[in-house]
Amino acid sequence: MGGLGLIWTLAEKDLRIELRSRQAFFTTLFFSFLILMVFNFAFDPASPATRKAAPGILWVALIFPGVIQLNRSFQSEREEGTLLGVLLSPMDRGLIFFGKFLANWIFLLVVDLLTLVIFMTVYNFPLSSATLWMLLLILLSSLGFSAVGTLFGAMVSNLRTREVLLPILLFPIVIPVILAAVNGSTEVLLGEKFRFLFQWIKILVAFDVIFLAASYLVFEYVVEES
Amino acid sequence: MWSKNLDSDRQAIRRYTAWAGRLLAPAYVLGALALYAAFLYAPTERVMGDVQRIFYFHVGSAWNAFLAFLVVFLASIAYLKTGRIKWDQLAVASTEVGVVFTTITLVTGSIWAKPIWFTWWPWGDPRVTTTLVLWLMYVSYLILRSSLPEGDQKYKFCAVLGIVGFINVPIVWMSIRWWRTHHPVVITSSGMNLEARMVHALFISVFAFAALYAALLCLRTSMRLQERLTQEMEVEVMAK
Repeated sequence: MGGLGLIWTLAEKDLRIELRSRQAFFTTLFFSFLILMVFNFAFDPASPATRKAAPGILWVALIFPGVIQLNRSFQSEREEGTLLGVLLSPMDRGLIFFGKFLANWIFLLVVDLLTLVIFMTVYNFPLSSATLWMLLLILLSSLGFSAVGTLFGAMVSNLRTREVLLPILLFPIVIPVILAAVNGSTEVLLGEKFRFLFQWIKILVAFDVIFLAASYLVFEYVVEES
Repeated sequence: MWSKNLDSDRQAIRRYTAWAGRLLAPAYVLGALALYAAFLYAPTERVMGDVQRIFYFHVGSAWNAFLAFLVVFLASIAYLKTGRIKWDQLAVASTEVGVVFTTITLVTGSIWAKPIWFTWWPWGDPRVTTTLVLWLMYVSYLILRSSLPEGDQKYKFCAVLGIVGFINVPIVWMSIRWWRTHHPVVITSSGMNLEARMVHALFISVFAFAALYAALLCLRTSMRLQERLTQEMEVEVMAK
């Protein structure tokens, strides 16, 4: 089996477990939904100011629940003792990173797309060709988010305080992703001219490339059993 | 496995302690000079008045904070490459001093911003916001450090974070700069023309903070290495 085959095998394993148990999926999606609702009650949904802030609300609803999945990704492996099996398998540690990352990314993409649909419904954004740009923004930002998240998720997975530690480590690092995603979607959703959209996409691509490479390189130090 | 490096640890302790001793005196002298230069030697700025004098300490701590995080990055790489504890101890000592210096930078910046820019927190300035993100990242490094059990894994995780955090700095800087171009920028720093004596005061302050950084770094590193050595010797005695 080639490298890609190995990565997919590992990712498919995670996705199949999730598909059968559906533990994290509904929790994460429901959490996203709750955040959208809480903001709807916190700010007057009819006011134009809330509409301006709506892209920010969407990204809070995408980023915060994402942490649940990233935490679970390695925690379940440690709890069931399967991580050792994965580490013993004859594959490069870097490929293990890509496998876990791919599963997290696909998972987050599905949750994010459903959240986007809910968001556009409850905040009354019409479906248009501009929505396609939203898909691109979600694709790119969830990529960078899951790359760093997979690395940090592996780090905190056997700590008692992991639930709070993961967001503490993750959020400062992903600030560029949040900035780019929120500002990019503000232009897309509020129908402004695309003045900076491509700059934001460039930031996202740069973040994705750099952190995929960096996480791949340092991952072996994070999962080594000492 | 630890005792193999015991002798080299002892040497490192001796070296760091000696350097801390050598550096403390220059740090005090330069610190006194910097105070003199900032408050008496440098002329009062025409528009901003005396409050501008905080700028010397602000820049001095800021530049050295960045230096500190560069040292964290390099020492973290060295630790992952060699697996030697002393690199890890250097990295965490540098993070601690860097976080203190960043805090000084943010606080002095805020004090200066209130009378000059009429706000305690100038979100419009990309340097301020980038420094804030740096502060957040390295505080999270220290939080991670305090929540991990002692051992190789702890040092590895911290090294990974020290590397990943530093790589992020240029991306943070670019994204924050573009973010702010959306909003009216009322603040530019180009208006500040420095007189020769102001430049002198600035450089004395930068060197004073650099000496202070180096002295604190050596002190903290040697202290941590000593703590470790004591623990290791206890373990060895128990084993016998």
